[in-house]
Amino acid sequence: MGPLALLGLASQHMKWLSVRQAAVSQNLANVSTPGFRAMDVRPFQDVLQRVQTDLATTHADHIAASPLSAASSALRQADGSDVTTSGNSVNLEQELLKAGDVNRDYALNAGVVKSFHRMLLASVKGGA
Amino acid sequence: MIDPLQSALRIAGSGLDVQSARMRVVSENIANASSTGSTLGADPYARKTISFQNEMSRAAGAPLLRVRGIDVDQKPFRVELNPGHPAADEKGYVKLPNVDVLVELADLRETNRSYQANLQAVRQSRELITMTLDLLKA
Repeated sequence: MGPLALLGLASQHMKWLSVRQAAVSQNLANVSTPGFRAMDVRPFQDVLQRVQTDLATTHADHIAASPLSAASSALRQADGSDVTTSGNSVNLEQELLKAGDVNRDYALNAGVVKSFHRMLLASVKGGA
Repeated sequence: MIDPLQSALRIAGSGLDVQSARMRVVSENIANASSTGSTLGADPYARKTISFQNEMSRAAGAPLLRVRGIDVDQKPFRVELNPGHPAADEKGYVKLPNVDVLVELADLRETNRSYQANLQAVRQSRELITMTLDLLKA
């Protein structure tokens, strides 16, 4: 069950990262839109904790709540950046750094999934 | 719901779109930095400004950026004494465009920088999609 849980976690993290990438590119596109406030997603740790306290589905008719997609796509205003006179709070450098983070984490994630997939395949094939 | 990476691509694409429109307006201003009128006391070229707006697009399922409008700068024109000029008024003053080339050049640089940033977002979103597809090749 261990590796399967890991794959689920990895795909949730990937989903979260792609939502974050969308937020970053929205910020970059709106770098000169008057009154635009920079957005960011809730940290992945918070999203995970929210998932754990969620309702269990014990019956086939229960609607499977997928809180992760909803929670992670909930964009919130990023804090800690200064606002220009036009009311815009996007910081180009910060956004590019964030994009770099997303890229690195995504690559790591994909690498982990790939190697676990290889391990699973190896065990199925009997190590041949 | 649309895939976030796809919407990232579209949003960054709309960013490229408006920045190129801005580039067009800026180059128009620079090109016309000394376009005067040709008749007695006529008004010269007036500087154009561009503004953007973030708008939810139903078709794309993502908030896209678009040009809100191209307006005319209301700043007063510069005047210069040049009685021989065809656009000079009775006192010999010619109205010159209210374009400050230095400001336009700064705007050009800014446009360039945001275009690069948007391009980087497009490139990276594509990279992430490729990484996901590469999982199939494992």
